[in-house]
Amino acid sequence: MIEATDIRKTYNSLVAVDSISFTVNRGETFGLLGPNGAGKTTTINMIVGVLKPDSGVIQINGAPDPTQPEIRRQIGNAPQSLALYDDLTSEENLRFFAKLYHISGTTLKQRIDWALEFAGLTERRKELVKKYSGGMKRRLNLACALIHDPQVLLLDEPTVGIDPQSRNLIFESIEELKKQGRTVIYTTHYMDEAQRLCDRVAIIDHGRILAMDIVDGLIEKHGGLSLVEAELSEIPVDTASLPGTLDGTNLRIETDRPLEIVADLVGSGQKFLSLKIQRADLEKVFLNLTGRKLRD
Amino acid sequence: MGSIFTLARKDLRLLWRDKFGMFWVLLFPLMFALFFGAIFSSGGSDGTRSLKIAVVDQDSTDASQVFVEKLIESEALNVIVTTLDSARQMVRKGKKVAYIVLEEGFGEKARFSFASVPPMSIGIDPARRAEALYLRGILTQLTFEDIKKIFTDPQVAQQRIRKSIVEIDSTSGFDPRQRQLFRGFLCNLDTLIAGIDADTNMLGLSQKGGGIKIESVERESEQGKPRSSFEIFFPSAILWGLMGCAATFAISIVQERTRGTYLRLLIAPISRAHILAGKGMACFLSCVGVCVMLLFIGSVALGVRIDSYLALLLAIICVALCFVGIMMAVSVLGRTEQAVGGAGWAMLLIMAMAGGGMVPTMVMPKWLQTIGSISPVKWGILSLEGAIWRNFSLNEMMLPLGVLLGFGTVFFVIGVTVMSRYEL
Repeated sequence: MIEATDIRKTYNSLVAVDSISFTVNRGETFGLLGPNGAGKTTTINMIVGVLKPDSGVIQINGAPDPTQPEIRRQIGNAPQSLALYDDLTSEENLRFFAKLYHISGTTLKQRIDWALEFAGLTERRKELVKKYSGGMKRRLNLACALIHDPQVLLLDEPTVGIDPQSRNLIFESIEELKKQGRTVIYTTHYMDEAQRLCDRVAIIDHGRILAMDIVDGLIEKHGGLSLVEAELSEIPVDTASLPGTLDGTNLRIETDRPLEIVADLVGSGQKFLSLKIQRADLEKVFLNLTGRKLRD
Repeated sequence: MGSIFTLARKDLRLLWRDKFGMFWVLLFPLMFALFFGAIFSSGGSDGTRSLKIAVVDQDSTDASQVFVEKLIESEALNVIVTTLDSARQMVRKGKKVAYIVLEEGFGEKARFSFASVPPMSIGIDPARRAEALYLRGILTQLTFEDIKKIFTDPQVAQQRIRKSIVEIDSTSGFDPRQRQLFRGFLCNLDTLIAGIDADTNMLGLSQKGGGIKIESVERESEQGKPRSSFEIFFPSAILWGLMGCAATFAISIVQERTRGTYLRLLIAPISRAHILAGKGMACFLSCVGVCVMLLFIGSVALGVRIDSYLALLLAIICVALCFVGIMMAVSVLGRTEQAVGGAGWAMLLIMAMAGGGMVPTMVMPKWLQTIGSISPVKWGILSLEGAIWRNFSLNEMMLPLGVLLGFGTVFFVIGVTVMSRYEL
């Protein structure tokens, strides 16, 4: 569906995207996970054709030029900034963007009604956007990208700066879009979002893809050991037989089979005041790959 | 084409809802025209330009009352008759320019004296010396009319001569030879005047139809001159409205870029040319709308009349196209709304100052008028004036219209060229 081969983009001496390649299959949700400035938005802008790569090729459905009107009709983009007209109502915003895609008549009305319902703004369709909350604007931003019913959806940090409730609503909306079989490219620097929504994730930093796989595969390959942290009820008599390190009553074990270790401890008669098993995640993957945390 | 209309309609709707933008586009130009038009207005017949004075009649004779009537009838004066104290207060508080006191004996002197001026005094606001001189001139004129009557009206002259003969006869201690000499002269003069035809004055001019003939000329018949100050200031006001349009739409282009809506437009199945054409069409239509609305208000409410509607149509189209080009150039003066707003208005203000948008070019020094030729504002005003009151022929309109289109093209090319180099 989307195939990027060796695409590179530089701004003077700054290499924004450094010869990356990836393929996104039809109906797949593909995540670009990386910190701010990693090159995610530049990649999205090259996919939609508003930035021309210095080298490399992007193909959407086999077509090499994403600026062709037929290709653009298949793409919906929700930019990171709220690309809305504040002095128009949500209905007027949707109507305007729909008309740019030559939607008219009954279809136009149906699409607007659907998009307002999707964004949960039907009741407030006649209000100016400037009166909306940040979460409502985010949902409308997403709805505007969907007004022409595109098969490919590019979502650039769609949950930045919104409250947890609106964030959850957007997650549910995206999961609904996944069920409908749409192809989604989702950029974020929140590892929990990528972990929840994406079928495959590419870890990107300084314009380069460091690793790319399904989430479990990335964790397995790059996440390292799981961590078991236990507070024992009393200091055991035979401390030499315990795995890991003991500091007073606090036991800390790094292992690739955490559940078996916990079972062994229970079997040897240890009693716990508290027990925590921390499985490796994408944050840990990023840390192991770059030596930095995602939000450094 | 449908996409261009969609884009233009969106921009016009946004402009309509932008109160600040609407102020600069419509309200400020209207205020400008009304304010300066009213200040420089010739006043009409409401007497607002006449000199406000108070008159105190201490003589209260028929002659003094006739003189007061003359003052009241004068178009140059706005007269109130009052007491001396009240008149002084009015002048002191600046409500009146001056007061005139017709003193006791005014009537007597006015009716029978050949040589002396009837007694009257004037109190004047010291800060208004110029008006004092003007008032003195009016009073001299009115007094001279009485003296002139003595020498031109035989009946009045005979009345005065006979009164003088009585005074000579009744005066004691007068040398008899002198008395006889004066008496004889006045009697002969009386006889001479009695022989003059009643319809002929003593200077030999027929009283019927004599003197200076003043003809009123209808203003409509004046070609190539403004009929009112509003006709001078409405073209300037329209140019202010057009500058407001150019600045507002230039800023809106930058807003589209900074807020991300431009990205959405770019990824829609339309070209960059469509986007620019939509913006240009919105600017053009709003410029035309400003011209039409201001001229409508000017013509309906303030008597601005259009000499040639065809010339006006051409002027509006060309000046609107010129300002579309200016809008494009202004939009690339900076990367942020603040930068474009600041630099744009600075550029437009210089154009307005040099081109007669602030002060009419006719009152500018020659060198500044020459410099003003590089300002599209000058040519915009000239083309509108040509259609409104300069009575330009279509040939005469060609120069300002051509210059406007030239300016518009140059600015448009600069704007589009720089913009095409922008990446997101």
